[in-house]
Amino acid sequence: MLHILTLAFRRLLTTIPALVIILIALFLLLQLAPGDTVDALLAQIGGAESSVIDEMRHHYELDQSTSSRLINYLWRLVHLDLGQSAIYNKPVSHMILERLPATLLLMGCAMLLAFTFGTILGILSAQKVNRWPDTLISILGLIFYSTPSFWLALMGIVVFSIYLNWLPPSGFGSIGESLTGMAAIVDIAWYLILPTTTLALVYLAIYLRIMRASLLEVSTLDFVKTAKAKGLSRRKILVNHILRNAMLPMITLIGLQAGTMLGGSVVIETIFAIPGLGRLAYDSVVQRDLNTLLGVVFVSAILVIIINFIVDMLYAKLDPRITGH
Amino acid sequence: MKLFNIKQTFIIGLFSILLPFYSMADEKTPQHGGTLVVHYSGEQRVLNPALRASTGVYEVSGKVVESLVDLDADSQVVPVLATSWTSSADGKTITFKLREGVKWHDGKPFTSQDVKYNALEFWKKRLNFSTALQLNLTSVDTPDDYTVVFNYSRPMPLDLLLRALVDLGYVVPKHLYEGTDVLNNPYNTAPVGTGPFKFIEYQRGQHIIVERNPDYWRKGYPYLDKIIWRIIDDNSSASAALESGQIDLSSYSKLSLADINRFKQNAKFEVLTKGSQANIFNNTLEFNFRNPIIANLNVRKAIVQSLDIPFFTDDFLYGFGKPATGIIPSSNAFYPKDSKIIYPFDREKAEQLLDEAGYQRKTDGIRFNLKLVHINNGEDVPLFATFIQQSLAEVGINVVIVNLDTAGALNAVYKAHDFDIATGWHQYRGDPAVSTTVWLRSGSPDGAPWTNQYGWKSETVDQLIDNAATEIDPVKRKALYVQLVDIVNRELPLWFATEREFISVVSTKVHNHHNTARWPSSSWFDVWIEH
Amino acid sequence: MAILKDYFRSPIARVGTILLLLIIFIALTADWFFPGNPLRLAGRPLQWPFVNPKFILGTDQAGRNIAAQLFHGAKVSLIIGLVSTLIAIIIGVVIGAISGFYSGWIDDILMRLTEAFQILPNFLLLLVGVAVFGSTINIVIIAIGVVSWPPVARLTRAEFLSLRNREFVQAGKTIGMSSTRLMFKEILPNALPPVIMYASVILSTAILMESALAFLNLSDPNISSWGNLVGNGRLVLRQQWYVSAIPGIAILLTVLSASLVGQGINDALNPRLKKR
Repeated sequence: MLHILTLAFRRLLTTIPALVIILIALFLLLQLAPGDTVDALLAQIGGAESSVIDEMRHHYELDQSTSSRLINYLWRLVHLDLGQSAIYNKPVSHMILERLPATLLLMGCAMLLAFTFGTILGILSAQKVNRWPDTLISILGLIFYSTPSFWLALMGIVVFSIYLNWLPPSGFGSIGESLTGMAAIVDIAWYLILPTTTLALVYLAIYLRIMRASLLEVSTLDFVKTAKAKGLSRRKILVNHILRNAMLPMITLIGLQAGTMLGGSVVIETIFAIPGLGRLAYDSVVQRDLNTLLGVVFVSAILVIIINFIVDMLYAKLDPRITGH
Repeated sequence: MKLFNIKQTFIIGLFSILLPFYSMADEKTPQHGGTLVVHYSGEQRVLNPALRASTGVYEVSGKVVESLVDLDADSQVVPVLATSWTSSADGKTITFKLREGVKWHDGKPFTSQDVKYNALEFWKKRLNFSTALQLNLTSVDTPDDYTVVFNYSRPMPLDLLLRALVDLGYVVPKHLYEGTDVLNNPYNTAPVGTGPFKFIEYQRGQHIIVERNPDYWRKGYPYLDKIIWRIIDDNSSASAALESGQIDLSSYSKLSLADINRFKQNAKFEVLTKGSQANIFNNTLEFNFRNPIIANLNVRKAIVQSLDIPFFTDDFLYGFGKPATGIIPSSNAFYPKDSKIIYPFDREKAEQLLDEAGYQRKTDGIRFNLKLVHINNGEDVPLFATFIQQSLAEVGINVVIVNLDTAGALNAVYKAHDFDIATGWHQYRGDPAVSTTVWLRSGSPDGAPWTNQYGWKSETVDQLIDNAATEIDPVKRKALYVQLVDIVNRELPLWFATEREFISVVSTKVHNHHNTARWPSSSWFDVWIEH
Repeated sequence: MAILKDYFRSPIARVGTILLLLIIFIALTADWFFPGNPLRLAGRPLQWPFVNPKFILGTDQAGRNIAAQLFHGAKVSLIIGLVSTLIAIIIGVVIGAISGFYSGWIDDILMRLTEAFQILPNFLLLLVGVAVFGSTINIVIIAIGVVSWPPVARLTRAEFLSLRNREFVQAGKTIGMSSTRLMFKEILPNALPPVIMYASVILSTAILMESALAFLNLSDPNISSWGNLVGNGRLVLRQQWYVSAIPGIAILLTVLSASLVGQGINDALNPRLKKR
């Protein structure tokens, strides 16, 4: 266990330079953006006199030079302080902790759903390769993959919330009813069905394709042929040999997808009014809330690193050729 | 959709015979209790209406914090925390009597000290639009706990002050702000007031909750136990939430016009513009006079005359709006009677004006290019930008739309001045002196949005604006504004294309709604819901 | 040639190619079928399809002919897809090639850079790019290309790593070929097939990303892109669903055709699957 932790820590250390580069680059990039957070605020309140505007700029420290603000930011970061959010008027770390659960839940469920069904459908498809179940699954997969996710989301709302009235169209749990325990979990799950499914469908298609392809590829490899020759049952070959090897690219994909999925959740979270990191990031770009944006980037980067680390560990477990070094 | 069955029609008929003097809404006796769920979009950085003036703030904090005065259904000023007011003959001293026995939500009494603190620390110093209004406020006297005297260095028209105080006269408790860093005060996002509802929580990105204040000074009110604002930024999702019964009300035109139009056919909802008369808004066209082509009056006339606004309001806006006849809305007391559109839609005339101005069509049919920046207040702004692009193409002007987010667009127009024409919304705030005239008064420093940053200057207009702001005779004041409207209509420093009202969609379960001129912002003390 | 034959043997590839050709045909004939600006006010807004013979696919809420926008949009979407894919591939291949060829500290730095880009959610980066530099179509295309290169770099690097010790490279080295020549003339052609296969993925995501940007109202409004049409249509989604449905299907079919062609190439190039 200790070994894994040291490994994780070392991994984190090697990614720190990349992380710092990103943060500095983004900070500087956003200085070039037209308008600042006070402009965004003014848009919201319909304008103000210049004395009021000056006081606001001072309040958000925008009257200081770029370099001194950057240094301040980095200095605070060293102390693990992400600063104060301009839009929300509270520490960025609080904001992120508030929003993280929703995003993690959404991404986790979507990923689980995509992975599970992708695997199952991929196996089905590979077993019936080039026959009608395979064709049907492949076509469905391609259609899911090719459809813009926001379009699927909107259609999902129209069908399941409006016409059928089965699922809530938006939100993250019922408000005003203080539910606890199981009831609260069921309540949130209820709200998560639509967004999770729409977010998952695209990825499901990808997993399905990879699973099918790698199954087909693995099944032509020598060791599978040997196993067949040894007279092992189909099921045993599939589970012990083929699946184990085909899982490798699938797991790699999870690591690669973590970042994209967070980006994709921007749109999904907006449509379903889910208070997650994606929407926080979008709002902070539009509102030029630098601290919040950088904070989200920082946290999501760490998230991606952690996911990739877990993926690597799994990889080592699954692939006998890789030994922990 | 079937609206009524025969039996219902019969009963309604019966009622209308039996109760000829009552409207349908009043037949039911109000029910106490229940929760009203309201659509809300966007994040508010501050919920303190004494610090930030905007409808987004009032929508929520107007239930918690109260102003000195409010408007009734006929847009007349009525007492709230102030019970009466008088002005001295020279207009420099204005005295308010305050309501007695009012308590803050934390139990402390509301007194003239609170009003004095708000007037000097918020209204004069920090509240947007108010610092200009209260520029000449020199001191505030408090002869007793329930009397406040405002002293001005120049005459302050009483009608102007009262109409402005409806929005710019909210009072927050002195004892929670005095001696603190006002901008970072935690009560800015968790307001404490005297209103019918107590603030409970603001869960960012999700909801805001307020609860019934049992000690409210209007005895027996409010009816509702709770109000919840659900934050839904995507307007089609919000419509879906309304339809599925997740929310009961959406005001200030936060739904798409297509959906609003659809709700008209739904018997479970009412679609109204009533109750928002005090917040008329316009689709605007701003010109950048730094561009010599635009500085030519004939070109501006031609641009205006190329736009078929009735077509736009009917076919793009579903009839929600009408062509404007000037910078003051037709429902307002300052509206010049018999105002007419001076430069109506006339494509041939526009072409002729452009030819006369010396901008002939070149071989590709284009006379010149213009850069259009739109400031995105609502869904119809990009639509109007497209309409301008389409219409001007017909007369040989090639318009390139610059798509920026709001912060970027404000910066482009009001700071960098990097535009030829711009479009957005103008929101009328009850009196021309509040917010409308700053669009025309020269001398505003760069970077102040929605002020005259257009490179246009007229001594006459500046003079008119200054005089009207201190003219205490209402009749003379109106005459000055009539002159102003006429000059702006002829000179076209900017142009208001449409005149529109905010639209609310509300479930028929909700009662006593939209019964004042700025209802969505008001305190909702008498609103009740069937449950 | 044999590869081409293999390619066309698969029904997937045939369907994909036909679809893609159809879309290219639509793009090329846009000016012929619908001359003039597709964004002009053509008639009363929101006319349903198949009602007015002048507007077979109806009009959107700004009174623009949807059929005209669809045809011209094909051009725009293909250009967005192709150019941003090209940008992503060029950046990715150059970085991946240098990184895989030289290894050592150059590799280290470039891979850190790639990692940095990969850690960032790319759509978020795209949002920032558009917020900072504006939403003109050129910026949108470049920004999409710039956020899509890291996988290409990794792919190219992996290929280079496995190819650089092959005999033909060693032989080239011994006869004194320059590094650039070795990299781009000798190794690259052999490293390219997986990259080309991956191109269909980038193309698909590029078109989808533009439509997502347009959905958030952040794409170029002066261009008749399918994304803009879907984005505008969402305001009238419940009543006039066809406004966003029609371009939605167009996007779907284009992405589908790219994926099918990609899979076709994949199958044709993958020797192990040939026998199936």
